[in-house]
Amino acid sequence: MLNQSTIEAIQRKAATYPERESALMPALEMVQRENHNHLTRDMIRDVAELIGVTFAKAYGVATYYSMYNLRPVGKYHLCVDTNIPVYLSGAEAILTHLEQILGIRVGETTADGLFTLSEVEDLGSCGTCPVIMVNDVYYENVTIEKTDALIASLRNGVLPDPVDESYYGTVCSILLKNRGTANAQTLAVYRNRGGYQALSKALTIPPNELLDLVKHATVRGRGGAGFPAGMKWGFLPKNDPRPVYLICNADEGEPGTFKDRQIMQYDPHLLIEGMSIAAHTIGSRKAFIYIRGEFEWIARILEVAIEEAKTAGLLGSLDIVVHRGKGSYECGEETALIESLEGSRGCPRIKPPFPANVGLYGCPTIVNNVETLSCIPYVVEHGAEAFRSVGTLGNYGPKLFGVSGMVNRPGVYEYPLGTPLSTVLAAAGGVKGQLKAVIVGGLSVPILTASEAETLKLDYDSCIKAETMLGSGGIMVMNESVSIPRVALRSIRFYAHESCGQCTPCREGSLVVKRLLKGIVDGHGKTEDIDTILAICDTVIGSTLCPTGDAWGMPIRAMIRKFRHEFESLIR
Amino acid sequence: MTNAIEELQYAKVLFVIGSNTTEAHPVISYYMKRAVKNGSTLIVNDPRKTDLTRWATLHVQHKVGTDIAYINGLIHEIFKNGWAREEFLLNCTENPDQIRESVKDYPVETASEICGVPVETMKQVARILGEAESASVCYTLGITEHICGTDNVKTLANLQMVLGNIGKFAAGLNPLRGQNNVQGACDMGALPNVYHNYQPVDNPAVSEKMAKAWGVESLPQKPGYKMPTMLRKALDGGTRILYCVGDNTIQTEPHMAHTIKEIEALEFFIVCDIFPNITTPYADVIFPDTAWGEEDGTFSNTERRVQRVRRALTPPGEARSHWWVMQELGKRLGKDLGFHSANAVWEDMRKTATSYAGITWERIENIGLQWPCPTLEHPGTGFLHREGKFTRGKGLFSPTKWIPQAEPPDSEYPIVLSTGRRLWHYHSGTQTRNSNGFDNIFGEELLEISPEDAEKLGIRTGDTVKAISRRGSIVLKAWVTDRSAPGVAWCAFHFSEACANVLTIDRFDSVTETAEYKACAIRIEKVSDGELLGVGIRRQARP
Amino acid sequence: MKLTLNDRLFEVPDGLTVLEAAKRCGVYIPSLCYHHKTGPAGKCRACLVEVEGMRGLQTSCTVQVREGMKVVSNTPRVLAAQRLVIDLLLSSGHHDCLSCEQNGDCELQQAAYYLGIERPTFRIDEEFKLDSSSEFITKDSGKCISCGRCVAGCNKTVVNEVLGFGFRSGSTEIIADDDLPMGSSSCVQCGECVQLCPTGALSDKKAHGQGRYWDLEKVDTTCPYCGVGCQTTLHVDRAKNRIVRVTGREVSPNQGMLCVKGRYAYEFPSHEDRLKYPMIRRNGQHVRVSWDEALDYTADRIRTIVAKHGPDTFSAFGSGRITNENNYAIQKFTRVVVGTNNVDHCART
Ligand SMILES: Cc1cc2nc3c(=O)[nH]c(=O)nc-3n(C[C@H](O)[C@H](O)[C@H](O)COP(=O)(O)O)c2cc1C
Ligand code: SF4
Ligand code: SF4
Ligand code: SF4
Ligand code: SF4
Ligand code: FES
Repeated sequence: MLNQSTIEAIQRKAATYPERESALMPALEMVQRENHNHLTRDMIRDVAELIGVTFAKAYGVATYYSMYNLRPVGKYHLCVDTNIPVYLSGAEAILTHLEQILGIRVGETTADGLFTLSEVEDLGSCGTCPVIMVNDVYYENVTIEKTDALIASLRNGVLPDPVDESYYGTVCSILLKNRGTANAQTLAVYRNRGGYQALSKALTIPPNELLDLVKHATVRGRGGAGFPAGMKWGFLPKNDPRPVYLICNADEGEPGTFKDRQIMQYDPHLLIEGMSIAAHTIGSRKAFIYIRGEFEWIARILEVAIEEAKTAGLLGSLDIVVHRGKGSYECGEETALIESLEGSRGCPRIKPPFPANVGLYGCPTIVNNVETLSCIPYVVEHGAEAFRSVGTLGNYGPKLFGVSGMVNRPGVYEYPLGTPLSTVLAAAGGVKGQLKAVIVGGLSVPILTASEAETLKLDYDSCIKAETMLGSGGIMVMNESVSIPRVALRSIRFYAHESCGQCTPCREGSLVVKRLLKGIVDGHGKTEDIDTILAICDTVIGSTLCPTGDAWGMPIRAMIRKFRHEFESLIR
Repeated sequence: MTNAIEELQYAKVLFVIGSNTTEAHPVISYYMKRAVKNGSTLIVNDPRKTDLTRWATLHVQHKVGTDIAYINGLIHEIFKNGWAREEFLLNCTENPDQIRESVKDYPVETASEICGVPVETMKQVARILGEAESASVCYTLGITEHICGTDNVKTLANLQMVLGNIGKFAAGLNPLRGQNNVQGACDMGALPNVYHNYQPVDNPAVSEKMAKAWGVESLPQKPGYKMPTMLRKALDGGTRILYCVGDNTIQTEPHMAHTIKEIEALEFFIVCDIFPNITTPYADVIFPDTAWGEEDGTFSNTERRVQRVRRALTPPGEARSHWWVMQELGKRLGKDLGFHSANAVWEDMRKTATSYAGITWERIENIGLQWPCPTLEHPGTGFLHREGKFTRGKGLFSPTKWIPQAEPPDSEYPIVLSTGRRLWHYHSGTQTRNSNGFDNIFGEELLEISPEDAEKLGIRTGDTVKAISRRGSIVLKAWVTDRSAPGVAWCAFHFSEACANVLTIDRFDSVTETAEYKACAIRIEKVSDGELLGVGIRRQARP
Repeated sequence: MKLTLNDRLFEVPDGLTVLEAAKRCGVYIPSLCYHHKTGPAGKCRACLVEVEGMRGLQTSCTVQVREGMKVVSNTPRVLAAQRLVIDLLLSSGHHDCLSCEQNGDCELQQAAYYLGIERPTFRIDEEFKLDSSSEFITKDSGKCISCGRCVAGCNKTVVNEVLGFGFRSGSTEIIADDDLPMGSSSCVQCGECVQLCPTGALSDKKAHGQGRYWDLEKVDTTCPYCGVGCQTTLHVDRAKNRIVRVTGREVSPNQGMLCVKGRYAYEFPSHEDRLKYPMIRRNGQHVRVSWDEALDYTADRIRTIVAKHGPDTFSAFGSGRITNENNYAIQKFTRVVVGTNNVDHCART
């Protein structure tokens, strides 16, 4: 049985949601936390009964999200990210080293019950990798030496304070204007630097005028698709009796992406102010921030900031709830995110209907990325024209570019849209060695060769012209030492792991491609395999329920098309 | 049912009383649960925590046999708060003031004392019903199998009329009939007081009409005896011949020991059935009947839908359809009944039954029709009394008064035994137990005992216990479960090895002569420790 | 509405999806996850078509027909996409059609046949679980294509709320409760999931090996159990004179749904203990006699007793389990031949 205080905590949490089932994930998390980071079948049943869902649903949720542990784990659960950016910076060496010093394999727990070692997908630390997550804490920029020190400390029962060091830069000073300021996450400092003036101003403007303003500014969505926020808001049904929900997408799951955390961690009020203005514009009184569960410490920063803003009376009647994801890349997709927020498995919905009409709890819902929402205060404060003066035609405003991989100063850099890639790479300290290839929009977009990248401008339209996409602006840089077939294999491993499993081409196709690529990389592939992979990618693209099929079909196809000789050379 | 089964999924409020729907009428329960999923309110009123309560918005656990007090209390509260549908009362009912007056004896406080439901809960239920746009009442044998069964039903009818819930879509008063064709057996006039289509035998005009149609001089106009009376009269020579078709009387009638005596007293006992059972050994003649699947015909379901059954198998040995037996016996007794095929029997019936006149086998080839269906063009009737127009003109209230059960528990027999059906079995078990697998799932009867009582008696699930009433005793295993309320035990009558009807009391409703299967007093004794039965998942129809 | 399908013009009613419309027009489009009772799911992606004016391929199960719409389901691109889907499903499972219960009635097989897929192209290594713990239902994950029809059925049509999806991506599985063997789960064995399953992943256990789908005669009838009167189809082995399987008919009142009794308690007519011959008790023993003898004897006894004690000493029980026709026959006999109204039945149990 659950203990009384947990039950009460769960009930309190449940009360913050319009529908009780939304509390399923937080409840499982609380119970897991109380039980040495692991869930038993009985606990899942108890939670199911408490929340009022079927056992199958609760168990389905517990087994869907990778952060629920259905087997006991050690006191320290070491999670090593091995996704592409980290892969490029030597994660495998760290993992192997850990296996050696702990004397266990990935997935195992040491006999003393102290350590469990897991290999995980992207942790959103691409600029500061390799990264090891120990329980809730990120240890970034680790090296073999630092790993040894960490383990030694843990053996002594001390979870050391993580060191926060990362590169950043801005030429716009819009999204990162407070990045270098100490304590900018506090309300006092934020207000001192002019914060919440935009909100005050917005509250004096009728919502329809605000909507026109945002429409005119043309704030293209920073989450990946580049769809203008104002236009999206305009799709909300008029005179509808249902409540309207605003959701901030802070899932930051796209490998290569680590930009939203810059805002949330160092300048949370910027996001909260943006959300408040957006909520006012669209008539929402309940908003959610869906943040990936690994960012636990950032979630807490946000909760503190929301509480501060609320206490200061800044939020008016708006209520903002921070909802943690629990380890599913797919939940970044807006309809999967909504499902997850409703307490279900993160399986995308069929569109139409679009969330603007039928979203969270069947009500009109707007989902926007952190960065998108964080642009709004600037638009309101300085006007649409000021926003449009940054960037290029049709691609206005600042953009955060997260540069990772083989550069000297990996980090997040704020530049106007339309800035040449070369400028951003130079800001990131330049490429280590000879540039071979680059992925500019997170792992889900087609790779570019060095020559294709040479003249690329970083904006939505230019990228499409270059037959790739700007996506989330996660730039992964590869030099001549990188084996593209290995990158391809690591990529498809990610998608095969993260596919929600709903639709056939993505679920099964990713497995087939993974097997074939593994064969090629391991040296027992056949030439036909390459064509089979291409054929699968060709067919998968455009034929899946959500964009994830495209998200691996296009990049894998591009890697093979552009670096086919590398694949062929692996075939004996 | 006044309304159709599929309407239930659209009901705004479902008031289910005395019905273990998920087990006894599973498919109807699916529609109820769907309604809940679509946002309806489901109120389950049952002394037992039936599986349906899992989906209920509210489970009201009134005491066994206190339905009249409980419902009258609700009606009182409804009047008190002005929730009664005065327009309906005025236009569609005859004597609204009488009911208004009669429920004055049942303020919720008084009713609550009798039925054991907290006053607040009663008020809440009354409010839900009173404020609902419409509500559907469904009941089963938990209402009728009491000495006050008729009054129980009348009270529910009063409730629905006060709420104006008659003659509306997804509302009404809906008895869920137990067996596949009880509705049909009644419709077809296997009743002592009416012919098929409920034409009274004591109405001279009807009698004359039927005599003419059936080609006889005259027909007896004195209503016949009901089943319990027929049996009782065996003891004094009033009944000498019993012709029993498809009824395992000894297992299904209450107070088994007494039933056996009655049967033994008969001069000539004919049994027509498909299996040997505990009644057949007493027969003087046994006719092998065709089973379901072996003959053509029709069944009428609980929503008055006449549906085809078809022959798919060749009957074993010399088993024959019963209409054929009747034809042959008739012939031998000097009368050609004109039964040459099942369809010919149907056509013979249809000629003199306005409600069925429009239903031919041809029309129901694919989908059944709901009577009344008076003409060949008529589409059938989904719900009765449309717009509050009752068959008799205006609705008539019959005020009711609560009476205690025939055999209240006392210090010697402190526990109330209620009986019923299980999901896995049917009737006296001959069909389910002679089909593969069912006994593997549920192979012996279990006495359901509340954890409170079990603790007092030192009984654990799986122990062998003896249940004793004034009429007899049975030995069976215990299932300790919160499905039973304290002071109430429960078991089914499917198993001849441990049949509830050894214990049940032969006291009957004065009008319908339905026995009080739902309440008698027993005592439970532990016989021996047993194997703990696997108690897996919490909610389900088996331990 | 006018709909052009593969260059032919059709008139279809309003409010249909392309898939439903195509079905009415007699044009086959492979589809697996769609069932009219559980609605469009968009999961299997077998029903992809091209719709003029819409980008990319569209799932015909989710797209509504609009006036003048032009749809093609037979271009190389469409067929390649459909073929990949079916091929992947065949590759990822363990589809031993030769001995599968669903052979001949399998929607996956039908799609493979239509697309001309003889054997799967790919190899996907997965482990399969065969769950035969339940009395009446076999669950074979090797044949499961994750279409979700069973889950939707269990939760939305019969609302028994047992099944769900567990795990994810390639490991996605149908689970009962918290991944219990079906036999120890809270499943009430209504068989709705079996009936909705397009493949042999969920099958009627008792029907295994009892007859091929096409060899069995289908006879529509009404369930012999409770008063709901569910409509069923009996699958009958005529030669063996046995019912092999029962399915629910999708008409009123049950719309295909049944309960465990209606679906699985069907062998009793063929049980050897049946009463097969008329019998008379002689010297305390029941002895087999001919019908004539039994009938003569009965008629004789009735005649004598009634003559002596009057018709009201005769009583007859009809039954709530026999047909209307038989009940009517009993009342008419009692009233016409014997001349009493002493006829009743146990309307009460
Ligand atoms: C597989 C997948 C993953 C995604 N992950 C994210 C994410 O982590 N963060 C995000 O903001 N958007 C993500 N998106 C995009 C969202 O679906 C959605 O378009 C976005 O949140 C809308 O916000 P925007 O218009 O402000 O960009 C993802 C999309 C897909 C298909
Ligand atoms: S494309 Fe992949 S992630 Fe998207 S719905 Fe299909 S299986 Fe799920
Ligand atoms: S048989 Fe019925 S209850 Fe059992 S899993 Fe299937 S649909 Fe659900
Ligand atoms: S078991 Fe059948 S119905 Fe259920 S998902 Fe698998 S294939 Fe579909
Ligand atoms: S299938 Fe079940 S619910 Fe339907 S009539 Fe038969 S016994 Fe009743
Ligand atoms: S039938 Fe359309 S996607 Fe499955």
